[in-house]
Amino acid sequence: MIKLEDIYKIYNQNKTNQFSAIKDINLTILHNELVLIKGVSGSGKSTLLSVMATFIKPTSGKLQILDEQVTKYPDIYLSQFRAKNIGFVFQSFNLFENLSIYENILPPLIVSFSKQKSQKKRIDETLKLLDIYDKKDQIVSTLSGGEKQRSAIARAIINDPDILFFDEPTANLDQKNSENFLVIIKKLKSLGKTIIISTHDTIFDKLDCIDKTITLFKGRIVEQ
Amino acid sequence: MSSDIFLFFEVMVFNTIELILLVLQFVVIYHTFFILKYWDFNKTSDYQYTLEKKSYLISLIIYFSIIVKIIIYPYFIFTLDTLSTIIPGAMCAAGVISANEYGEILFVLKSSIVLFGFIWLAINKLDIRSKRFLYIKKRLYFYIVIFLLFIIEFFLDISFFLNLTTRDLVSCCSVIFSQDSGTLPFGISTTVLLSLFYISFTILFISNIKKYKYLSFIFSFIFLYLSYYSVIYFFAPYIYQLPTHHCPFCMMQSDYYFIGYFIFFSLFLGIFFSVVNGAMKLLKIDRYFNNSNLYSNIFLSIFTFICTSYVVVYFIKNGVFYQSNPVLSFSQ
Repeated sequence: MIKLEDIYKIYNQNKTNQFSAIKDINLTILHNELVLIKGVSGSGKSTLLSVMATFIKPTSGKLQILDEQVTKYPDIYLSQFRAKNIGFVFQSFNLFENLSIYENILPPLIVSFSKQKSQKKRIDETLKLLDIYDKKDQIVSTLSGGEKQRSAIARAIINDPDILFFDEPTANLDQKNSENFLVIIKKLKSLGKTIIISTHDTIFDKLDCIDKTITLFKGRIVEQ
Repeated sequence: MSSDIFLFFEVMVFNTIELILLVLQFVVIYHTFFILKYWDFNKTSDYQYTLEKKSYLISLIIYFSIIVKIIIYPYFIFTLDTLSTIIPGAMCAAGVISANEYGEILFVLKSSIVLFGFIWLAINKLDIRSKRFLYIKKRLYFYIVIFLLFIIEFFLDISFFLNLTTRDLVSCCSVIFSQDSGTLPFGISTTVLLSLFYISFTILFISNIKKYKYLSFIFSFIFLYLSYYSVIYFFAPYIYQLPTHHCPFCMMQSDYYFIGYFIFFSLFLGIFFSVVNGAMKLLKIDRYFNNSNLYSNIFLSIFTFICTSYVVVYFIKNGVFYQSNPVLSFSQ
């Protein structure tokens, strides 16, 4: 499902402050796998996640997702591919604080040209799945950390993508919400999603459905 | 030679834009060289990714340049029209174009650049659709031809404006396009010209429906050629309601409700849409535009309708065609 071959990402290439964020990454992730990417701060986890989610192009190497060599796509097709196949939950959620949960979840449906009639039905189903349906009209700034995270997850899965990325999902959560998050992850895995989580939180050691753990150090995979 | 014309506001604007576009082309051609030499889409090296990023940049510059060229093409005609107020004898752009030996060839060159530009835009669109940039080398080689035309055009622009003078008398359009000075191609009569015009329109229309790419391609240029002469030597008098007035430029003025822009705009677009798939076939690009033949028929029909309607309306109002009858007076 996701295949990385000889991936490098170098920032400020050919400048004095050149920096290799990830080096020589070779990795295969199969359908419906739950993969943890671990490493200390600055090890390249977020960069690796961004490359896999096609937000940034690698400096060299090959990235294949769902049998498509996405690194070669023009941006217009990459955007369409991403909208259809990838969901991403950011560390700080990146929700529109002055809009409601419903309004935050709507944009991906508009971008994917879904019909207006089915939009409301789809949003309601997703909110019920994540137990925030009763708060759908509440403004995001009034929500708790756990509710914000569930809103961000709802936005990420609204188009029913095959692949989900989570960047430090428990960084802004307390212990209880972190454990609730583990329940959500199990639910998403049971729905057939391929899940990649970048984290340095040890709470994930409690998760029994992890298929693969990758450890990064100074941009390289040191353990798989 | 005179440099006074360069101080004319419209000429300054026009030449400044042309200069900026030319400078941008040198940026493009520099990167084009490396892409043509080193491009290998199957590679995933950092140099190949760099070339791919550069290809986006130069494609954007070329795209921008061509769009600007298309926009300043009517502005060029407008500039010539404005210059006609200071060039003695010239009543419109026609007189200014004929003022020196560079005008007509410059005008033909600009028209060709617009057509080539449209074709490049078409190749660009197909290339992006292919997802693997299958035609990048073809469109860059095609661009090199356009680049050379840009350079020639720039020097011709300078030569043309440099050789315009406010002291020498030039011919006005009524002399340039008069019955005495103008001859139809191959010595044919206007009746034959008109017949050929409508026959070629019909053939082109049917060819577009049947999507015969090569036939549409060839007949587009035949139709364009015949349309040029038909508009000047038959339809123009009906537009001006003056049998001696044949100028193709005056009909772009406000006195005639700028109908010339509609006429030539619809003609050129119709020709482009008719030509584009044939051009793709000639360039060995195996992708096409499904609806281009339909658009061609729409625009060519608009063109033919506008031209014909002037004749029909005149006949309905007056019960006759022109008495000085270009149909008869040109008969051989």
